[in-house]
Amino acid sequence: MRAFRLWKPHWTLARTLASAAKPKKTDIFIVGGGPAGLTLAAAIKTSPYLSTLTTTLVDAGDLKGKTAQFYHEPPEKFTNRVISLTSQSRKFLEDRVGVELMQDRLQAFDGLYVSDGCSDAGMEMERDSMGHMIEILNIQSSLLHRLSQLKASNLNLVDQTKVVNIEHKDPKDPQSWLLVTLSNGDVFETRLLVGCDGFNSPVRKFSKIESRGWFYNRFGVVATMKLDFLPFKTRGWQRFLPTGPIAHLPLPGDNATLVWSTTEPLSRLLVSIDPEQLALLVNAAFVLEDVDMQYYYKQLEQGTITTQELELDINHRTDLIYGKLGNESLIDEIYPPLVSSIDGTSRGRFPLKLSHADSYVADRIALVGDAAHTTHPLAGQGLNMGQGDVESLVKALESASKRGLDLGSLLTLEPYWADRYPYNNMLLGVVDKLHKLYSTDFGPVVAVRSMGLKALQALGPIKDFMMARVSGPSQ
Amino acid sequence: MIRMIIGRLTRALSLPKLPQRRQFVVATALTLGNFIFGRDARLADAMDRGELYNKNSNDQKPILDTSIADSRPMKPNYKGHIPLYPHERVLLFLVSGLKSYFHPENGENIVQLGEASAFTYFLRNLEQTMLSDKTGRRLLREQPDITSESLDMDHLSKMAPNTLGHNYYRWLVKEGVSPDTRAPVKYINDPTHAYIFKRYRQCHDFYHAVNDLPIIIEGEIAVKALEAANIGVPMAALGALLAPLRLSQVQKNRLYDVYLPWAVRTGLSSKPLINVYWEELLDHDVDEVRKSLNLSSPPDLRAIRQERARQRKQFKLKYDKHETNA
Repeated sequence: MRAFRLWKPHWTLARTLASAAKPKKTDIFIVGGGPAGLTLAAAIKTSPYLSTLTTTLVDAGDLKGKTAQFYHEPPEKFTNRVISLTSQSRKFLEDRVGVELMQDRLQAFDGLYVSDGCSDAGMEMERDSMGHMIEILNIQSSLLHRLSQLKASNLNLVDQTKVVNIEHKDPKDPQSWLLVTLSNGDVFETRLLVGCDGFNSPVRKFSKIESRGWFYNRFGVVATMKLDFLPFKTRGWQRFLPTGPIAHLPLPGDNATLVWSTTEPLSRLLVSIDPEQLALLVNAAFVLEDVDMQYYYKQLEQGTITTQELELDINHRTDLIYGKLGNESLIDEIYPPLVSSIDGTSRGRFPLKLSHADSYVADRIALVGDAAHTTHPLAGQGLNMGQGDVESLVKALESASKRGLDLGSLLTLEPYWADRYPYNNMLLGVVDKLHKLYSTDFGPVVAVRSMGLKALQALGPIKDFMMARVSGPSQ
Repeated sequence: MIRMIIGRLTRALSLPKLPQRRQFVVATALTLGNFIFGRDARLADAMDRGELYNKNSNDQKPILDTSIADSRPMKPNYKGHIPLYPHERVLLFLVSGLKSYFHPENGENIVQLGEASAFTYFLRNLEQTMLSDKTGRRLLREQPDITSESLDMDHLSKMAPNTLGHNYYRWLVKEGVSPDTRAPVKYINDPTHAYIFKRYRQCHDFYHAVNDLPIIIEGEIAVKALEAANIGVPMAALGALLAPLRLSQVQKNRLYDVYLPWAVRTGLSSKPLINVYWEELLDHDVDEVRKSLNLSSPPDLRAIRQERARQRKQFKLKYDKHETNA
């Protein structure tokens, strides 16, 4: 007893010297308030087995202010970060987590028309509510709204703060709890650290989990578009140009969103030209041939073509190709509704890459979403893979909680990795191969892939199977 | 085993009941045959084809309109288009090929072979070349026609002698041809491709004129080789490869030493000639046009031939003199 008394002051002194504040204890510490991080927090708080666990979420952005405000005072225009949410992901968010998404800013689509930019091959995928186009801000703010509704006292949301340091409590013991130091000086001591912190994940770097992959040398260009008239079919359109796929996806009313993957110089061109010219180019990209597009890019780069000339030329070529169809009703069937204008300020571009972490888990650490894997957006799977990760991780934590396991142990976390890694790896691989297959205009390859696409179009069951893999079983 | 089955079959067939069975089979065959080939069936077919008419009424016997247009695989895509079946296309290629080899002087053979060998792949390539160029695109959009009317021959004759227009005019007069002598395109299915081929044919004379090559066979082969190298016309390549086989050794040597190397070199280094809007360059200086297209002019074929004829004459004189002296 005496010895303890003597020892105690030394201990306190040592702690105070080591860090400014006394560490706050938390069960789960989530880094990153993107869709994956917020979904995880909300899923934990709505789980009957996990809701009693103290949870902390840290994000560098203005979550409580700007992001949360979106739910109550949404802007009139659509923002440019729009993704496709599969029915599975939506079900998880709405039924399991209890989120009320902003229905008037969400558009379900009933199919996708995929075509080849080097031939006349096309494939129609039809399925009611195949997916939902939704702004990322809609998901985030709805989740924040849900979290505020829950009024959970053991949830600590810290925004506009960064993680500055992560270390083990006992540097010699990799299974010891983690100490997370924040930029506001707070220190948290956590049982489990979850990295939802994106491609350049600091948590992954700390965990020393290797992430492998490559850059595609392509950039995604996004923008919000206005259509000439209400679409006659609410479906997505995707055309594989040799420079990368271009997608035209529906938003409520006469709005649509653009995701155009292309080379780095062209992406710079697309965000710098007149929005009017970009609208013309988008319309042309779905109808005309590669040689036309290359000609327009060249002329626009050199500045040797005016908007009027561009419009005249595109209209002439488009009419010629429409004329060759022989049947006017086909126009609405295989080409997307025309874009009348593009909001120039909504344009943005980002590099495309593939990366996959060797593992999603380590002692006391789990990686979720982009921190574990990033993919080309051509299949619209990036965010959905993250949602699947969250679902699986929560399930693993629930069963660990039921069995009385330590939440941060590998025993708890490994089922999550075992469940998700093969599926994610398959999707990453398929998307990567699709990208490679379609990024050439070499004649024989074009012929073979066009034949394959036409065969798929003819083989209903195989098509259904593929759609089921991507967007969940039919309802 | 097999022998056993055969034995059984022979026994079964040689049963005394056979005549009756044969009668039954024959009667069935006759009845079924009558259903299919009998008079009633033929009448019904005729009715179906609309060949029957009521003899008692005053209506005329229906005239079956089977024009030649109905025998074609598709409706014509443009004026003068004659759609062909694939086997007809192959035949056209073979027949016109043989005819062109034995009678190259007959223009029609060459014209037919040209179209029969204008494979879609080549035409698509040519279309891509035109679509990659500003002028080429304008040509495709405006689709100008080169005729003696559109060019206004009188006006050409009054141009300055160093202009392309006057050169072209002089060449036409010298060779005794006119822009209207070009045959229309008939067998190419796609209207755009048909126009491109027509344009190629119409511009052919400009290639002669701008390089000042005559239409005698060597000049023709040189222009063909130029076209093959520059535009990739299969017919031109065929011509440039096969036509020299019929020439004399002297002509061959001249071609292989002087003209073909020039044609291939020039064709590969110059700009795509199909993308030239010749009509708009008529009042330009011909040397400047040549320079802007990166074309080098060949040695004058006529001069070379005259030079050789003079030499021959000289030799002949010497020889004759020698003979008379002796």
